[in-house]
Amino acid sequence: MPDFLDFMERATTGQILAENDYYLKVLIPNVTKVVREFGIRYDPANPVSSDDELADRLFEAAVEFVTRTGIYCGATNRVIEVGRDELLQAVENLPDGSTFGEGRDRRRFRARRPGDERPPWCHVGTGIVASSEEIATAQVEGYGGIPQASSISIPAFGRVRGMHVVGGSPLEIYATIGSVQAGRRALGRAGRPGLPILNLISSATTSMATIAGTHPDFGLRPSDGWLIDFLAEMKVDFETLNRLAFVHVTGGNVGSTALPILGGYAGGAEGTALVMTAYYLLGILLFRGAYHLTGPVHFRHGCSTTRDGLWVMSVAGRAASHNTRYPAIGLAYAAAGPCTKEYFYEAAAANLCCVASGYAGVQTVHPAKAVIEDGVTPLEALFNVEMAYAAAGVSSERASELVNRFLQKYEDIIGEAPKGKRYQECYDLRTGKPSEEYVRLHEEIKEELTQMGVSFRF
Amino acid sequence: MDKTQILENLAHAAIEGDEDLARESAEQALSNQIDPLEAVEQGLSKGMAVVGARFESGEAFLPELLMAAGAFDAAMEILQPEIEAQKKEITKLGTVLIGTVKGDVHSIGKNVVATVLGTSGFDVVDIGVDNATLDIIQEAKKAKADVIALSSLMTTTMPAQREVIEVLEEMSLRDKFLVMVGGGPVNQEWADEIGADGYGKSAVQAAEVARRLLGREG
Repeated sequence: MPDFLDFMERATTGQILAENDYYLKVLIPNVTKVVREFGIRYDPANPVSSDDELADRLFEAAVEFVTRTGIYCGATNRVIEVGRDELLQAVENLPDGSTFGEGRDRRRFRARRPGDERPPWCHVGTGIVASSEEIATAQVEGYGGIPQASSISIPAFGRVRGMHVVGGSPLEIYATIGSVQAGRRALGRAGRPGLPILNLISSATTSMATIAGTHPDFGLRPSDGWLIDFLAEMKVDFETLNRLAFVHVTGGNVGSTALPILGGYAGGAEGTALVMTAYYLLGILLFRGAYHLTGPVHFRHGCSTTRDGLWVMSVAGRAASHNTRYPAIGLAYAAAGPCTKEYFYEAAAANLCCVASGYAGVQTVHPAKAVIEDGVTPLEALFNVEMAYAAAGVSSERASELVNRFLQKYEDIIGEAPKGKRYQECYDLRTGKPSEEYVRLHEEIKEELTQMGVSFRF
Repeated sequence: MDKTQILENLAHAAIEGDEDLARESAEQALSNQIDPLEAVEQGLSKGMAVVGARFESGEAFLPELLMAAGAFDAAMEILQPEIEAQKKEITKLGTVLIGTVKGDVHSIGKNVVATVLGTSGFDVVDIGVDNATLDIIQEAKKAKADVIALSSLMTTTMPAQREVIEVLEEMSLRDKFLVMVGGGPVNQEWADEIGADGYGKSAVQAAEVARRLLGREG
C-alpha cells in the first residue's frame, strides 16, 4: 500500500492542471456522471435515510469517483491519482478503532452501525473563537464538567494582548500555544486532565503554528486527536501536507476532516453526499487517519441543518458505517445561536440524524454557524450529549419522523435564524453557571421534545 | 434561422452551460449580421441573468453557474473580436479586484463572487487566495481598480480586511478605491466597524452593492 511519501511523489509528478480546469473538466463532470451511473437520488421526505442499498451504492460510487477524479494538490497544480485496489485495501486494513486520552479518560473509539444501541462518542465543544483567555478557560472547564464527554474541542484565541490575531503572523503562534495551555489547564481544573483534545488547534491556520503548538511542553499529546483538513473540494495544499508529514513522522492520532459545501463544486445534495463519502476514503488512504470528522455546510445558509444538509449527513454516514470500520464524528453547524429555541431544535435534529445513521461520534452542533466570537457555552454541549444518548438505539425510520417534526420548527426561518447570545450574556463569568433564563429555556425544550417523542436518559 | 431564434439560443446556451451551442450560436449571429453587442446583451446576458437568479434562489448550484460562465466565455471568444473590429465596446460597470486576505486559503466563496461580478458586466481581476495586504493594494493600483473586494472565511483572518483599509488610509489611497468585504463570518456590522464601503451577503448581493457603489444601478 502506498505511504505518505508515495503520495508526495504523485503530488509532484501527477497530471498538471490549472485548478479551474480540475473543477470544470474533471470534478464537476465526474460528479454528474457518477451520481447518474449509480442512481444516487435525494429523498427530501426522509431526511434520515434508512436505505441500506442506497448506502452501499453511494459507497461504491465514492470509490469510483475517487478513482476517476483523484485529489488536487494546489501547491503543485497536479492531480494526485488514487487506485481502486489501494483504496479498497486501505479500507480492509483499517484497525478496529483508535485509542485516545490518558488515565481514566483513556478510551477506545470504535465505529458504530445504524440503529446501534451503544451511545456515541461525545465530542464536546467547538473551535469557535473566544475573545479572552478567561472566557476560553470557562468554556473548557464547563465542557470538562460533562461526565459523558469523551473528548473536547478547545476554542481559538481571537486576540493576544488586545491585538487581533492575524493568520501567519507571530500572534498566531502566541495564540496557538496559549489556547492549548489554557485548554489543558482548564481540563485540569475540571478534574479531567486526561480528556483528549480532538480538534488539534483551532487557533492555528498555518502548519507552522500547528507545529509550534504541539511542542510537548505546551500540553498536546500523541493520544489527542490531530485534526487535519481537506480543502473544499477534493483539494490539499502544502499546509495540509506539512501537518500530515509532521504527525506521520512524530506520531499521533491523525483525524481527517472535510466539510463539503452543499451547493458548491459538488452541486446539490446527491453530489455533496458523493464527495462527502469520498473524503472518508481519502482520509483512510492518504491521511492514514485514526478517525474522521465531517458534515456538510450549506452554501447559502452556512449551516448543516437544512433538510438537504441532514440527508447528506445521513446517507454519507450510513454509507461509511455500513462499509468501513473508520470511526467518524458527525459535525453539524446550526444557523441559530446559544440561548434560542431554534438552536435546540437544530441540534436535536442533527444528533438524531447522525446517531441513527451510524456515526461513531457526534460533536456539539456549532451554534450560529460558528462565526460569533464567544458564541458558544457549555449548556449547548450538555444538551447535545443528552440528545446523543437519547438517540442511541432509535431506528432510522423513527429518527426521520422526529427530524421531520423538528424541521417544521425552524426550516422556514433558517435564513433569518436568531444569532443568540454570547457566553457573557447568558453565563455568569464569576461562577461559570448559566443564567436562569437559559436554564429555564433548556428545561422547557427538553419537556417539549419529550412530548414529541424523545426519550432522554438523563 | 431568424434573429430571435439565434438570440434565444445564445441565452439557452448560457442557461444550459452548453459551450458548443454557445460557439455555434455566436457564429450564426455573426453570419446573420446580428450586431455582436446585441448578441451579448439580448442573448448571452439574458441567459446569465436567469442562471444568476436560479443560483440566488437555491434552484441552481455552483456547477451550473460555472458552466454558464464557461458558455459565456466560449461565445465571447467569437463575438469579442467582431465587437472590437466594429470599434464598439461592451459597457463595463467598473473594475473589481478580488482576493482572499492574508492567511486564508479558502476560495469557493470568492470564486463565486468573481464569477457573478464578471457575468454582471464588471471587469474582474482575481488575485486568488492568501494575499498580503500590500500586495492587494499594489495589484489594485496596477489594475486601476474601482473596487477592492476582500474575502475571508475565518474569524481569525477577518482582521486582515481591516488592515487593508488601515493601510490604504496610511498610504493616503483610501479615497482611490471603494472597499467591499464578504465571507462566511463577515456581516454588515463588521463592515461598518472597519469602515468598509460595502458588504454583500451573497454573490448576487455583492454585485448589486458594487453596482450601487459605482452609481450604476438600474
